[in-house]
Amino acid sequence: MAPDKATDKKTVGITSANERVLGALVAEGLFGSEIEAAKFAMARAIDNGVERGTVEGAETKWNVGSLDPDGALKAVVQALYPEETMPYRLVEHLMNEGLRSFDTGDSLPPDVAGVLYSIGRPTS
Amino acid sequence: MLRIKSMHMKDFGAFKGEQSFELPAEEGVSIFYGENMRGKTTLLNAFRFALIGKIIGRGRREVSFHDMINWEARGEGARTFEVRLELTHAGADYRLTRTCRPRPGTDDPERHDDYVTDYYLERGGHILSPQQAALELERILPEQIARFFLFDGELLQEYEDLLHSDTDIGRKISQAIERILGLPTLTKSRDSLKAALDRAESRVALAAQGDQKTREFGNQLQSLVEEREVLTKDLFRQEKDLEELRGRKAAIEDDMRRRERMAALLDKRDRLAGEVKVLEDAVTAKKEEVSRAMGHAWSAVIRDRLATAVESHRATEAELQSAVTRAQVLKELADGDSQACPTCLQTVSAEAQEKIRAEIPGGGDRSASDDQRELATVRRRLDALGEQLARTNPESLRLLWSDLEARRRDIYAKNGEIEEIGKQLSGNEEDELKGLRREYESVVRQIAALEDGVTDTGVKLAANATYRDKIQKRLDQLAGGQMDSERKIRDMASRLHDLFKESVDVYREQLRHRVEADASRYFRKLTTEPEYAGLRINDSYGLTIVHRDGSDIPVRSAGAEHVVALSLVAALQNNAQLRGPIVIDSPFGRLDGGHRAKIVETLPDMADQVIVLVYEEELPPARAREALKGRLRGEWALERQTARHTRLVQK
Repeated sequence: MAPDKATDKKTVGITSANERVLGALVAEGLFGSEIEAAKFAMARAIDNGVERGTVEGAETKWNVGSLDPDGALKAVVQALYPEETMPYRLVEHLMNEGLRSFDTGDSLPPDVAGVLYSIGRPTS
Repeated sequence: MLRIKSMHMKDFGAFKGEQSFELPAEEGVSIFYGENMRGKTTLLNAFRFALIGKIIGRGRREVSFHDMINWEARGEGARTFEVRLELTHAGADYRLTRTCRPRPGTDDPERHDDYVTDYYLERGGHILSPQQAALELERILPEQIARFFLFDGELLQEYEDLLHSDTDIGRKISQAIERILGLPTLTKSRDSLKAALDRAESRVALAAQGDQKTREFGNQLQSLVEEREVLTKDLFRQEKDLEELRGRKAAIEDDMRRRERMAALLDKRDRLAGEVKVLEDAVTAKKEEVSRAMGHAWSAVIRDRLATAVESHRATEAELQSAVTRAQVLKELADGDSQACPTCLQTVSAEAQEKIRAEIPGGGDRSASDDQRELATVRRRLDALGEQLARTNPESLRLLWSDLEARRRDIYAKNGEIEEIGKQLSGNEEDELKGLRREYESVVRQIAALEDGVTDTGVKLAANATYRDKIQKRLDQLAGGQMDSERKIRDMASRLHDLFKESVDVYREQLRHRVEADASRYFRKLTTEPEYAGLRINDSYGLTIVHRDGSDIPVRSAGAEHVVALSLVAALQNNAQLRGPIVIDSPFGRLDGGHRAKIVETLPDMADQVIVLVYEEELPPARAREALKGRLRGEWALERQTARHTRLVQK
């Protein structure tokens, strides 16, 4: 059955291709959990100016209650994307896009330090 | 006086095939000229090998016999080398032949241990038995004495040890010097007289036991004599053990000094490993800190966007707040809840109220509630944005990461250094050095325990001597004429022992003064510094330069060390019981032209037979001939045939 795209998601998933990147990101970025690493990837996508969208083929990973227990994530996404009506679907999209951007195609670990050092500097 | 008449070599180092030279019988200097790598040090080693069976390389390491076979000859199948010296000593002719050959059963020798050396000694044309040969060689030129006649730059290092009499190497060299100067003859006599005294005391005790009047004291004396014998044996054993241990300690110190570089590398590696461990612990702690901080890193990444969103939301909030307020006011006016305009405070007429009602769409309720809901949403988002912004601190994150990365880089660099050190160390060497250090610590502990034991035994012996002395006095009072002869023998032995005991100290002091006087005389001849008056000797034959105002010169240059060492060698030659030739390899290495000229002039006075190995720039033949004149007895050149073949040619 095709997913219901008229309502927001109750779970957030990661594509199988991005799962590997997520694992590498946790290891490289010293994140305490995969959720923290996924949020970091989402932030990178936002910083890179990724447009709204949805993701296909994501396998359920987290319940939104676990992902965003205080709703802060949803509030921030809605603040940054005011026109978005399904924030968790967008969160899922941004997380997957962010993870994909860390995958440079070589076997190098994700450049977490590079992201941190570029904060506040104009992107080329 | 031992004199070398000739040398014959076969396939020794650079000297391929059979080569020989004869040294003139007259007193004077023989010079061998050779450029670097032609074999001057090899020639010194040929003397050393023939005399003591050792070949010494840089750092005073023994050189592998395998490497000393002439390379070209080895390529042609040679497996042995040999050096033969013809010598004269005290009117007798000797021929000493020492050969190195593969150990029996070794078909393809590759290492030092695959070879054995043997020698035979002929005296007056007759081959001596191995035992006779060993005794004769020990008599005419023992190894400990030969070391002071085969002189190269590295002897300076050994000489330096004399300045530190607290080291066991310094003590060992001092003993070797006293041996060369003949002190053992006197100390052996003293010890013999001590044994004679002990025997005489024992006989007195026995005589006393045979008389009723003195029996009790005789018994006591006898038991004290027995106790003394036990204690003396203990002391002898302890001192022998102590001597062996000190010798072992000196050998280990020597070995460790040769391995100084490796020891330094090992220490550095261990230090680095310790530092890496500390850094790794710090990195673990830092990672936990970073991990905690990374929970909010996502907010930091979008900090600018969050800030922009806050601004736009604040604007929206203001607009919405304004709209909501306006709607509320209008509604109040329309509903007639308020009679006066809150802005101009004028009364709102009924007509105006009607007009207001007409202008509010839907009566005003729906629009106002929408704005209020939206305002609430905006404020909720503003709270969320504010909360996230408050958590962002990219600078702190960067500092944490920088710190972590710096420590990781440090670990990487230190591990790189450890790896480099590892490449320079072989497992065997490391184990050997660790073993040496363990053995050294053990030997030091044993020496300390034995020294305590020696002191303890000495105290017991002193107490024993006091008791014996008291009893002897009582016996002297009680005894009749039957003990007279034994007492006289004892008294004579006692006086002779005291005399020799004292004479050892006196002779030692005289020797030191003689060595000091001669060394000073040579030093004044050799030095170019007119303000230096001479040398002062210490208890272990170390020499200090003395200024003419009487003060010591505390720091000596490398050149000064060289001149002082030469002065000591010459003084030892002059005072030695056993005298021999001096063979000097590159004696001018660290010295300027002025010193060189003085050394050349002094060489003939240093020993009856002086053999000098130099390169021509160091001592040009014309200058040598002019300075030495008739005392230059022979000149040879070490001529290159190939890189691995040098030929000795008489000039």
